[in-house]
Amino acid sequence: MNTADVVFNIQRFSLHDGPGIRTTVFLKGCSMRCFWCHNPEGQHPEPELRYFPERCIACGQCVLSCPNHAHEMHDGTHAFLRENCELSGLCVETCFSRALQMEGRAMTVAQVMDEVLSDKAFYESSGGGVTLSGGEPALSKDFAREILEACKVHRLHTAIETCGEVPWASLEALLPFTDLIMMDIKHLDESKHQRATGQPNDRILSNARRLASSGKTIIVRTPIVPSVNDTEEEIIQIATFVRELITLRTSAHQNGNGEIRYELLAFHKLAAGKYPSLGLEYKAHDIEPPTKEKMTSLLNAARRCGIEASLR
Amino acid sequence: MMGSESKELTFTERIDMLRATKMRHTEEKWRELGCFDMDDLPIMLPPPESRKVVRVVSGSGLLIVDAMFKEFTPKTNHPSGGIFGARDCGENFRTLIDLHPPYIDPMSSLAGGYMAHFSAYRQPAWNPDFDFSPLHEDHEKYKLHHGIGAVQHFCQDEAIGLTLGWGGILANIHHYRTVNLDEEAQELYDGLEHMVLGIQNWIARHAAAAAEMAKHEEHPQLRQNLTELASMNDHLVNHPPRTFREACQWMLYYQLAGKMYNMGGSLGRVDQFLFPFYQEDKKRGILTDEEAIFHLACHFIMDTSYTQLGGPDASGKDTTNALSFLVLEAAHRLKVPVNVGVSVGKDVDPKLLRRGVEILFEDRTGIPKFLGVDRTSEGFARNGLPIELGRQRAYSGCHWCAIPGREYTVNDCVKVNMAAVFEVAMKDMMSDRSIKPSVDALWRCFEKHLRRSVETIAKSLDFHMDHMYRVFPELHLDLLCYGPIEKGRDASHGGVEFYNLCVDAAGLATVADSFAAVEQRVEREKRMTWDELMHFLDTNWEGEAGERTRRMMKAVPRYGSGGSRADTFGVNVAQTFTKIVKEKPTPHGFNMIPGIFSWAANIAMGKDVDSTPNGRLSKSPISHGPNPDPGFRKDAAPTALAIAVASVQPGYGNTAPMQIELDPGLSKSDEDIEKVVALIRTHFEMGGTQINMNILNKKAILEAQKDPTLHPDLVVRVTGFSAYFASLSPEMRQIVVDRIIAEE
Repeated sequence: MNTADVVFNIQRFSLHDGPGIRTTVFLKGCSMRCFWCHNPEGQHPEPELRYFPERCIACGQCVLSCPNHAHEMHDGTHAFLRENCELSGLCVETCFSRALQMEGRAMTVAQVMDEVLSDKAFYESSGGGVTLSGGEPALSKDFAREILEACKVHRLHTAIETCGEVPWASLEALLPFTDLIMMDIKHLDESKHQRATGQPNDRILSNARRLASSGKTIIVRTPIVPSVNDTEEEIIQIATFVRELITLRTSAHQNGNGEIRYELLAFHKLAAGKYPSLGLEYKAHDIEPPTKEKMTSLLNAARRCGIEASLR
Repeated sequence: MMGSESKELTFTERIDMLRATKMRHTEEKWRELGCFDMDDLPIMLPPPESRKVVRVVSGSGLLIVDAMFKEFTPKTNHPSGGIFGARDCGENFRTLIDLHPPYIDPMSSLAGGYMAHFSAYRQPAWNPDFDFSPLHEDHEKYKLHHGIGAVQHFCQDEAIGLTLGWGGILANIHHYRTVNLDEEAQELYDGLEHMVLGIQNWIARHAAAAAEMAKHEEHPQLRQNLTELASMNDHLVNHPPRTFREACQWMLYYQLAGKMYNMGGSLGRVDQFLFPFYQEDKKRGILTDEEAIFHLACHFIMDTSYTQLGGPDASGKDTTNALSFLVLEAAHRLKVPVNVGVSVGKDVDPKLLRRGVEILFEDRTGIPKFLGVDRTSEGFARNGLPIELGRQRAYSGCHWCAIPGREYTVNDCVKVNMAAVFEVAMKDMMSDRSIKPSVDALWRCFEKHLRRSVETIAKSLDFHMDHMYRVFPELHLDLLCYGPIEKGRDASHGGVEFYNLCVDAAGLATVADSFAAVEQRVEREKRMTWDELMHFLDTNWEGEAGERTRRMMKAVPRYGSGGSRADTFGVNVAQTFTKIVKEKPTPHGFNMIPGIFSWAANIAMGKDVDSTPNGRLSKSPISHGPNPDPGFRKDAAPTALAIAVASVQPGYGNTAPMQIELDPGLSKSDEDIEKVVALIRTHFEMGGTQINMNILNKKAILEAQKDPTLHPDLVVRVTGFSAYFASLSPEMRQIVVDRIIAEE
């Protein structure tokens, strides 16, 4: 319970990360760099300083507190010099207008469980539980496994959301304590996948096949991002792969096991505001979310492949 | 009315037209009276030629703007110009109702509407001969809502009237007048008789007006409706109702008369007392469910009083029936502010809760609300009264229940503003140089002043109980209670069986967060001295340093965040308040029951309190009911809110309702509905007592905040009551907005 890693959010009453009322624990650090990422604060594995200039009241306390000269005041206006910041966090402690915030903090398994167990009664009454998300939770293998194991001691339903781009051993270590796996497959074409996410997809597809053979309930998800994967052809390729996973599952487990489903998610731009606060550039400005009609036609294309699919 | 068209109108079309008429009346009120942070009272304005606009004190003690009939000049019986005592209140009320024009909408299956609040005419409200100036100092010091002069806020048993009819009630008055010969009884009978005769005359005039309108109505269906109204009302002048529709009509007159007399008239368990009529009509084949829904809708469009659906009978058996679902359906079809509470409990039909949540999702009007009937029944028994009585208590007001016809309560009328008490404690500690300032010392001062304020309330309640019957007796509610007529005593003066007087606390989060902020910043971190803190409070956090300090105090983990010191203080404050209220009854022996509820008065109570150490600005609203302040957690988790509110329940049968706004992104899927059902159930299992829930249309709310006229029909559950968003004051609208867009 003393294992620690960096958590950037614990969201209670989380309703879209598995069945029932859940708590989603967001672990920091991801192996991919999808340019539209909805949780860019989860990419970097270490804590990061976020700066919201619109909240700054120019009190100047950060300038006084920072040993590395990362803050300056010019004519009553505050400037943050990110390149000087060494994450001492001292400025955050003096910034009560919350213009400076530390994203992510090291937490022990015990601390996470303390928060998670607050809502145990709600999990029990709703068939909910705990979801590990990120970032990529399997990158924090030991931490993630210990949280899931502790959840199982309390008989909680568990789920992970994974991008799949991790060594198989990392995923495999979580399986004994995981009831539901939600896994992204963003593209079947390796070079397009590489361009969109910064990583190839061979290990992801291989991990997906191994997961299919494991018998766990799997929801394969594709975020529909115009210019990346919003053609029927591209979705049919992924849906066909999902059908292959189902076949694999059936041959590995004749008596049936957890189901494998497919979900399409629409890209949205709600995360655009997060990027500047992290000193990152948002590269999806010019992309518009797919229309309802588009999502429905892609869903129908997926269903024509003979698999159970839905929009989320 | 409809020219020569004779197309059969559907119930839906008629409801649409009734709703449009109500909207026209409401918009006229906005123009004439401005905003009002209270129930959507379905009063209509008197005709323009008879109208004058005045400022008066409402039944809940707030200053409101009202419209009056120019023609009515009350006959005072006191040098102050007031009207006091049963006889004169009854006589004046009768004069008012006698000149009140009948109101008939041919679209409605029920006649009646009201245009006057008698209370507006009887000023001053309190008889100055009954002097409570010895209590003034403490009333003012602690800014108490002391309850002296409180009216209604208990529940009649409508079944009495539905059984007896007006003629039967009058006969009872005549009979008992010959039994109880003392002066108090005789005066009460005079007042009650005026009340009944006035109502009977009013009904008879509706019957005549309907008959007259029928003569000129060209639309056959509406002509038929008016003819039926004429005949039905003619019957109801003296006789009890025979059918479901007549029962609804009887109930509507009773409710409207109550609204007119002292804004009273809670409904209680409408699915119980109307059920025999429903069953009988169904058996005779003279009523369809669609007709029943329509009659109920015609009632609710004119009377938004509070009603409970389902819940236990005295033995604990659930009473949910077919009519419970039809009442819910009527509210669903109307989509106007209606105060329907759905019972939730171990043995209550789960389909009722499920249907309630579905409607909440679909309509997004904050209707229905949810009642934790097991917790309130069990809690009531802790007063040393049988749990059977607790189960019979009916939800009948913003946050409150009462045993129909048998219990006097002054519910929701008595408030201890704990933020004001905290302010007194703080100043007391700092001005006493023999005390070394500390959080412990502050707590002791707070407890001392909290006790003193509850003792002042107790004395005030005794004073109220001593004199109210001679000031403004409950002539309307007395008619349908067990005892007032039989004993010749007003309900406020021994007429009913049980006296359980409500004492609510307000400002819980303001106080809990203030203690936590002082403890962390002053005592533990030593960021400022006590004197420096007092300077910031005295100067309302002025200047750059003040603003920065204010934000520092606000940044301390708050009540509701879970496991924080403020959470502990929240529980301690609630338990201490409860302990003090339950230590002893009033000096005259009346039982007091603690609750935590500010109603919409958290704005007015905030104006009575200067800056507080939780970073609150001077005169701004105090926290709402038992809720944490908005921004209590980054994720604003409803589960965290539910846990916090469940942890501060006083537990003696009166409530501390959770006000909750849910993510507008929730879908209407089975899965999301079940998640909300689970949230509701779990809160009640943890000890919660009531839930006011909104699934809001965020976009519409934000647009309406800028320009209310963009969404005149947007309905929200503000607190215990639901109302048109556009009716609310800018401050109250901002409170609703803050709840949904708490700072990230």
